[in-house]
Amino acid sequence: MEVTQCTEDYTTEIELTKQIKNDDLSLEQGEIIIEEISRNHKLIHRHKLSRNKVSIGRNYQNDIILTDPHICPEHLSLKYSQGIWYLNDNNSVNGTLLENKQDKRQDAHQQVINDGDVIILGKSQLRVLFSDHQVSETIALSPFESLIDLIRHPIAVFISLALFMLIAGNISYLNQQVETNISQLFVSAFSMSLLFSLWPAGVALVSHLTKNEPRILAQFGISFVFFILMWFSDLLEEIVAFNSASNSALGLLTALLPILLAFSLFWLNSYIGFHMSAKRRAIVAISITALLFGGTYLLQYSKKREFNPHPNYNATIMAPVFLIAPSNSVDDFVKQSNDLFEQASKAALEED
Amino acid sequence: MKAFFTLVFILLSSTTFASEQAEEIFAQLTPSLYQIKLIDKASGEKSSIGSGFQISNDGIIATNYHVISSYARHPEKYRIEYLDHQGKMAEVELVSVDVINDLALVKRQVEGEMPYFQLSDQKPSKGEKLFALGNPHDLGMIVVPGTYNGLKKESFNERIHFTGSINSGMSGGPVVNKSEKVVGINVATSGNQIGFLVPHDKLVKLFNNYNKQAPTDIKQQMAEQLLANQNKLMKALLNNTWQSKELAGKAMIPIIEVPFIRCWGDSNADKTDALILAAIANCSLDENTYLSSHFFTGSVEIEFRYMQAKNLSDNKFYHLYQQQIARAGAGNRAGKNDVSEYQCHHDLVAPSSTANTGKAINNKSVFCTRAYKDFSGLFDVLYLGASVDKNQQALVSHFTIAGVSQENAMAFTSKFMEAVSWK
Repeated sequence: MEVTQCTEDYTTEIELTKQIKNDDLSLEQGEIIIEEISRNHKLIHRHKLSRNKVSIGRNYQNDIILTDPHICPEHLSLKYSQGIWYLNDNNSVNGTLLENKQDKRQDAHQQVINDGDVIILGKSQLRVLFSDHQVSETIALSPFESLIDLIRHPIAVFISLALFMLIAGNISYLNQQVETNISQLFVSAFSMSLLFSLWPAGVALVSHLTKNEPRILAQFGISFVFFILMWFSDLLEEIVAFNSASNSALGLLTALLPILLAFSLFWLNSYIGFHMSAKRRAIVAISITALLFGGTYLLQYSKKREFNPHPNYNATIMAPVFLIAPSNSVDDFVKQSNDLFEQASKAALEED
Repeated sequence: MKAFFTLVFILLSSTTFASEQAEEIFAQLTPSLYQIKLIDKASGEKSSIGSGFQISNDGIIATNYHVISSYARHPEKYRIEYLDHQGKMAEVELVSVDVINDLALVKRQVEGEMPYFQLSDQKPSKGEKLFALGNPHDLGMIVVPGTYNGLKKESFNERIHFTGSINSGMSGGPVVNKSEKVVGINVATSGNQIGFLVPHDKLVKLFNNYNKQAPTDIKQQMAEQLLANQNKLMKALLNNTWQSKELAGKAMIPIIEVPFIRCWGDSNADKTDALILAAIANCSLDENTYLSSHFFTGSVEIEFRYMQAKNLSDNKFYHLYQQQIARAGAGNRAGKNDVSEYQCHHDLVAPSSTANTGKAINNKSVFCTRAYKDFSGLFDVLYLGASVDKNQQALVSHFTIAGVSQENAMAFTSKFMEAVSWK
């Protein structure tokens, strides 16, 4: 079996003629931008060259030196002639593919290169751009940037962490049936904040692993601000439940608030940690929110018994300071409760 | 010495007399005594047993409702059989029930004349010797001598207090006097020689009504009886005096002055480490109506709980207080096939009776109800009121009533809510 070698002799007749032609018009000089990109089209390195011939390969004589072992020492060369760049593969072992914008891949030999084409050689990819390449429009700095800048400040992060621990400590104080001391409360608040730190730490880790900037302080700051906001939304929900009757529409509204907050948090997490399009970011945030709330709902639904012999009522009560709504009369309460009998009778018939 | 001998002789003679009498009674009445068995059709085995006795020439046998309750609720699943003293078995038909007094009439086929029990036409006198008959734990027919001790005190539906051993399996058996006439029916025991009997006049009434007009549908008959009984009970509760009474010196609560509602109290004043001082008053009707082994009705429970914070912030006090009221449950047992799920309503309510006075109270009130599936128009209701107007004190007022009509339930709720206040 014949083993193909990376040939060093690459001059062909056609090329020679072109070379001559090129020399005739030597006044014109080509300008080319070659970007080394990763497989998922992330930029690794960018070269801007002003010459008529560019050689690419593993050899140190090349204009662009690549380290990919699947590339030949003198893998390919690009030549400029009459305003057009040509690609020439030097009989490389693994060949060269040219991928154009229409996503058509073809074997590259004496191919014309267009702006934005991607050259695939070995396991590496190069994107070729010309200096007249149309760049996308400038994106204005989002107002979130300044907010994030504020939140990621070490002092702000410290304050939100401290506030979080204060709230966590207070909640564990309220739930203790027996007398407690400060150190017990501190331990539970500390472990609670450690537990909640897993989320921003995880997001930062994932963005680091996907070659994005981790921005760990920003992730921490934004996550804890939202955890605190969620606790406030719980408090609001409680106040509404305490002050309103069971047929109030306000209750539904407060139930939506935590969903909205969670969505915002996930959106900001991905805004800080990952470069992606606005549409994709929205989809990611919606999916995580749906997974969280849908999963919780499913869990509750699966635990639901077929028949509940106990009444399921909302008995939220709070200290008199939170009491803002006026009270109803006994007659009105009895009148409203009367409707329950019809509902119960209907339920009894349905379930039969 | 002579006197001593006489005493022993008298004692001896009276016991021998009693046992002779018991033997005689047993021998004479045995042919009209039965074991009543409920047979599960699918497995062909008995699922419950009790006793019964014939009260007419044409084969009417009296027993307890609770012996045949499974059949009354699910006639398609069971059949009722009798077993007589000669070991003969045959199927009987359920013809009438009195679910409130736990009585049932079943009918067997008869050929020719048969002996049967005579129902007494007068009440026994206190201290009178009675004989309970029945088949305890499937061990065979026995006779148990005992004493009549009048009617059970404080009962809404009358029961005879009988001093003598009534055991399970004897349910539905007759209790006769010396002249072999039925004065009661075995129904329950609370151990240690304390037994309860249904007075014979309930059976007389049921039997007479049956003779006048036999019920066409047992479920319909039960529904009517339950509805009538709750009307009688709720009328008694609503029309009697509601005495306003202090609780822990801080709250005013209603105590309904009827003998069949009994109250108990408790507090945690002895627990020095408790964060909240609590005083509880609990009133309830001691009896309920058996519908099936998983379905009871007719119970009434009322509970008041006063709580005072000890060195607690308002928020923490209310947090712990909320945990106290989060799990109010039904007062009676009922299953998926018997009732719907509870439907609830909650609101802030200030009773007008004490509004603008120093007694004024502001409650978070919760009302829940569930409907009976087989007895339409009957509901279980639950009310919970939690005061929300004092920073360091709380008053919980709570009741449950099982098997009540909407009208009666709401009349009671309205009266109850107005009757609770601060002192």
